[in-house]
Amino acid sequence: MGTAEIAVRRRNKSERLGRVGRLAQGKFVSSKNVPDLLKRIIEPGDILCLEGDNQKQADFLANQLASLDRKDLHDIHLVMSCITLPAHIQLFKKGMIRQVDFCYAGPQGTAVADLVKAKKFPVGAIHTYNELYARYYIDLTPRVALIAAAKADRKGNLFLAANTEETPAIVEPTAFSDGIVFAQVNEIVDKLPRIDIPADQVDFVVEAPYPMHLQALFTRDPAAITDVQILMAMVALRGIYEKYEVQSLNHGVGFNTAAIELLLPTYGERLGLKGKICKYWMVNPLPTMIPAIESGWIERVFSVGGEVGMERYTAARSDVFSTGRDGSFHSNRAMGQLAGHYAVDMFIGASLQIDVNLPGRKLVVQLVETFQAGRVPTFVEELDAQDPSIKKALHGVAPVMIYGDDVTHIVTEEGIANVGACRSIAERQAAIRAVAGYTPVGLKRKKRETEELRRRGIVQLPEDVGVRPSEATRSLLATQDIKGLVRWSQGLYDPPAQFVDW
Amino acid sequence: MEKFAKAFPSKPLKNTAGKPWALAGVVGSGNLEVLVERGSRPSDAMECHIETSIPGYKASWLAALADFAHHYPAGGTKVTINDQGAPPVLVTLRLRQAYDHLTKGEK
Repeated sequence: MGTAEIAVRRRNKSERLGRVGRLAQGKFVSSKNVPDLLKRIIEPGDILCLEGDNQKQADFLANQLASLDRKDLHDIHLVMSCITLPAHIQLFKKGMIRQVDFCYAGPQGTAVADLVKAKKFPVGAIHTYNELYARYYIDLTPRVALIAAAKADRKGNLFLAANTEETPAIVEPTAFSDGIVFAQVNEIVDKLPRIDIPADQVDFVVEAPYPMHLQALFTRDPAAITDVQILMAMVALRGIYEKYEVQSLNHGVGFNTAAIELLLPTYGERLGLKGKICKYWMVNPLPTMIPAIESGWIERVFSVGGEVGMERYTAARSDVFSTGRDGSFHSNRAMGQLAGHYAVDMFIGASLQIDVNLPGRKLVVQLVETFQAGRVPTFVEELDAQDPSIKKALHGVAPVMIYGDDVTHIVTEEGIANVGACRSIAERQAAIRAVAGYTPVGLKRKKRETEELRRRGIVQLPEDVGVRPSEATRSLLATQDIKGLVRWSQGLYDPPAQFVDW
Repeated sequence: MEKFAKAFPSKPLKNTAGKPWALAGVVGSGNLEVLVERGSRPSDAMECHIETSIPGYKASWLAALADFAHHYPAGGTKVTINDQGAPPVLVTLRLRQAYDHLTKGEK
């Protein structure tokens, strides 16, 4: 059998391209022709990838897709990392989706729960980002990928700007398996600052009538950091960062870890830890890292995405950040996740998704307050994810993000539980109860057990790691507000309008 | 509004000299003030008086104070708490801060 006869996918692709006719001028499509073009290039049964994670979204293409009906488009196997936009929900409501494989639902969580209840959410599996990207290369290879870029040139080369995010992880497997790559761009220009995706891997380009959806999702205003978070940050710094001499880390993006970043130039410096810990980071360019960077703490940062407002700052600090030859910031979600998995001493966070089958001896630290807003306890006897009705609706999948066996330490305002050093499940539970504060779980602890664990160093109170609670005040932060971050950055950080109150 | 008092067994304060009282926090929305005073009797109990704007959490308060009295030698002190709906996580911190000020003799 000759190659030509078995190249079914290639032939099918040229058939699809053939149907497009005058809807495109070469690779370029005018925005009004997008719905018709989508009808012609997508076939029933296709694996369709919609780009969009928690920061960057191919929202124009998603909206055009959602303007179609079931008669135009059906039996789609949707693959996408985050179900974020109302348009995504429409695809399910209209019955266009046969199966969905995704990572998480973000702001559409409630809408997705409603779809699950209405049996209109045919989930294949819930993945971590890298699991899903890896499957794009193996068994979930998109036939059509709808992606987002900052700019295209006249040949169809793409510039992704600061938020490279997951674009390469979608484009490569699609383009190298005769799939169709369709990019929305903010702008078409004669010359790109740099080429991130070569035109050879791009089939169609549309200049969207509005810029892609992009959120400053990880900007934490120091003004909102509480004394309790500062206490936890001090405890984590002394009891974990200092104790284990953590060099490289995958940092979370919440207020707890922001507090740690803002303590490095003050408390960390006083403890003599500069140059000894926290040199290499896998984290987005968080504005709260500016004081530590300016104080010379940080050697290198690699990021899964950008952060709105940090463009000029990151360009000016190219020794620290990954930058293109044009000087501007570069990120890569798939590679960043890999780096944050394999190349670090420690993962610390409370809200990130992570594969925690970490190789070798790594620290996996959960940094949580015992209660969340509205007096909702953080510690529970059984996760909501294990609820039988949820498992049933998701065909037996329990959406657990981090399994207990993988966590080495839990830090709360009550202290540190070194659960990795526990000898039994019962001991683990006792250690967790010891730091679970006055939640229903914590109230079940027994004094004698806690004392025994404390004696063995498995449970440590703030005083046990040399932290004075009276020092846990906001004045210990390198700066107390966004304006201070701008000052630290020497005017290079441009905070988005919602963070500017001066 | 809820008001209650209870004494908890606690080892006597280590140094008996130093400042007679210490205060942490303020009575503001979502915050509380904790006043710790020396010279209470008996010397092996921490005497507590709590006034909180949010009723229904007495069990949690008593558990938090019992643990504190157990972990820290605070016998012979009187603790007065005025709470304006502080989140539970803030309660222990303020207690620790006031105790720290008292025993280290600062502020």
